[in-house]
Parts: sequence; C-alpha cells; structure tokens
Amino acid sequence: MIELKNVKMNFDDFSALNGVDLTIPEGTAFGLLGSNGAGKSTILRLLSGVYKQTEGEVLIDGEPVYDNVSVKNRVFFINDETVQFGKMTIGDLHDYYKGFYPNFSDDTFFRLNEMIKLPYGKRMDKFSKGMKRQAIVITGLASGTDYLLLDEAFDGLDPTMRIIVKRMLVDAMLDRKLTAIISSHNLKEINEVCDTAALLHQGKLLFNRDLDSVKGSIQKVQAAFEGDVTEKDFEGLNVLHFEKNQSIIYLIIKGEEEEIRAELEKKDPKVLDMIPLTLEEVFIYEMEGMGYDYNGIK
Amino acid sequence: MYNIDLQSRTPIYELLYKKVIELILKKELKTDDKLPSVRELAKSLGVNPNTVSKAFQLLERDNVIYSLAGRGSFVSGFNTNGVKEKALADFDKAAAEAISAGATADELAERLKNIENNGKREENGAENKPGA
Repeated sequence: MIELKNVKMNFDDFSALNGVDLTIPEGTAFGLLGSNGAGKSTILRLLSGVYKQTEGEVLIDGEPVYDNVSVKNRVFFINDETVQFGKMTIGDLHDYYKGFYPNFSDDTFFRLNEMIKLPYGKRMDKFSKGMKRQAIVITGLASGTDYLLLDEAFDGLDPTMRIIVKRMLVDAMLDRKLTAIISSHNLKEINEVCDTAALLHQGKLLFNRDLDSVKGSIQKVQAAFEGDVTEKDFEGLNVLHFEKNQSIIYLIIKGEEEEIRAELEKKDPKVLDMIPLTLEEVFIYEMEGMGYDYNGIK
Repeated sequence: MYNIDLQSRTPIYELLYKKVIELILKKELKTDDKLPSVRELAKSLGVNPNTVSKAFQLLERDNVIYSLAGRGSFVSGFNTNGVKEKALADFDKAAAEAISAGATADELAERLKNIENNGKREENGAENKPGA
C-alpha cells in the first residue's frame, strides 16, 4: 500500500506539492491525471526515492521511502527522461538493474528483447527516442517489483508495445498483486488500464476515486421546458455550464444521474436526456472549474 | 465474441455485464458453458483485470453465472424473465413519453408490428429492411 500524508514539496520558492493526502491499495492500476506542472512527476519521484519531501510522510507498506533500499528495490520507476542511460548498452542496462532488483526476471527481459529486437551491444544514445523508451519499459516489466511507476510511459510507445505492456500489467496484477501508477495525458488509455484515478492541479488533489464513479460524476443534460427558463431556475443543482438555444437548454451538472434526474423531473420537462461525461470531458470541466479554462485560448 | 466498445460512455464493467447477458439471450452462451477467465478477457480486451472481476462479481450476484473454485465461471440456468421485465418497464416508460408527446395507441401498435417483422426478417437472415 502506498500512503502520502500531507506531503509538501518545495523547490526553492516553487511549491510543487501543497499538502497531498493519498492512499493507493495494492493490486490497483492507478491513473494520475493533471495538466503539465500539476505535480504528477513529483509524486512519482517521491515514491521512487529520487526526492525527499519537504514535509509530510511518503510511505510504502508503512515504511518511509527516501534512503530506504529495502523499499526502493520493490519499486521501479519508468522515468520519462532517458538521457541518463546514454552510455549504456542493453546488456549494461540488464546488469545494472539485475544487481538492484532481487526478483529481476532474465526470462522476461530476454524474451521481450527478442520480440522487439533492440540492438543488444549498441550504446543507447545511438537509439531512437522510441527505442530508448522500449528498453527502459522492458527493464521495468522484467524487474519483478511490487510497484511500477510509469511516468507518461505509454505516451511514447508504438501500438504493439502498448499491447505488450497492458498484457504484462494484467499478469503482474493477478500474479503478484502489482500496483501500477500511471501518469498520462492519454485519457483513453487511462480509462482502459486503470481502475482508480486522481486528478492533481497546482500541487493539490482535486479527487481520488474509483474510475467508474469519476465518469458518472458529471452529467450532460439536454432538456426543454414549458415557458421560459433561465440559469436561475437551476440554482438548487451544481450547474457547471448553462447554454440555451431557443427552447432547448444544455446543462453540465455535477452529481449523480438519479438525483439530478429526480430534481429536473420536478420541473416537468418536455424533453429530458442525460448522458454521463467521458473521462476526457470530466477532466476538462474539472479543470475549467479550477480556472484552467481552454475556452479562453482562442 | 466479447467485443465491447471501449470508447462508450458506459463503464467498462457494465458493458461486459450486458455483453454476457446478450450472449446468453442470443444463445451463443448456453447453460454450463465456461466463460473465459478474468485474465484471458482482460488481456484480450486490453483492460484492467479488476474491472473484469467487477463485472463477473455482479453477474454472479445476479445469478447469471456461477463459479467453481479453481475451475472458472460458468453460465447458470439463468432465468431471462428478469431481463424481460426490465425491458417491458423501459417500454412502458418510453410509450408513456410518446403518448404525452401526442402519439396515439394505433400509431404505437403500427410501430410494434414493424419492429416485430424486422426482428423476424433478421432472424431469417434477410438483409432488406422496410423503407430501405
């Protein structure tokens, strides 16, 4: 289990995390969402022991992570930066990580390398960006850790490699209760791979929930009523967006479908259609609520 | 067989739940047929195994499937009446809406006949649809 307790992280005068509380149970695939600079990578770096938090606690199975080898060799961090491996070959990469991770699987490592056919003896700074990414993802999958952190790791992979990663995550989750934390801007992928998700904004957590309940948390409503209605008529509801086109009104309302439907039925609508938002739409409206308004960018 | 639309707004576990019931109603899955394992299904669809488990748990709760420890999940002698009742309740609701919007019972009856004929034609494998 991963626990962050009131975690703050400052870099000089910049506060990257501003009091984050987060619990992630084992065996979960957890999606970390947020705009650029929201603090996603900072959380992953704290969990892999790259940074030490300014305040609060970062715990894995109850133990502090920073400077703690017995915890760190149960965590693999697939960093979105790969420059540090420039001088290494695939063979060096294997030897380096095998030395650190006690459950490293040679079988997985060589089987995947065989499949992908990365040049074994070549220095990685001669690799393409995608190949470097593949090499480190393969190493992460082979490391046999209980925790796998993927920082935008899906984003640079080709479709075949994405399928391989997804399938291996399924096996690892079922076989050894792997916990995967995946940060990504690809919400389609998060929707498929993750069961839980959190949204970060400016170093704070906006929500942390079961993915299905995230998707059902905001409704898109199309309705028509007898007589003239204005936004004021819906004051009892948490309306995020109101738009009117002749007699049809379009509403984005935060809340459960049943409750909103019951409330709107009271106004005796002539037409009432509701659909839940997609994860992408939830993201956009939540961010809009925080003043991160894409409509302002024309 | 278990293809679902991952782009749909409906939660993935619900899509899977409905898919299994649909396969039973279409007789593609029969009583005591074995379902794929959570692992197989999660890998072939590229989705989270916990999501697949959730669908299986709900199917088991509703007596659509049963599981045998170490052997997997199987289709139970599932009573499709519940599905029928729910469909009829949905129908009543839609019909009431249509009537309040000015449709007459005769018009609805006409549509019902067309829907039934369409269904029969599809069963017979005819591709032509009325009006097409």
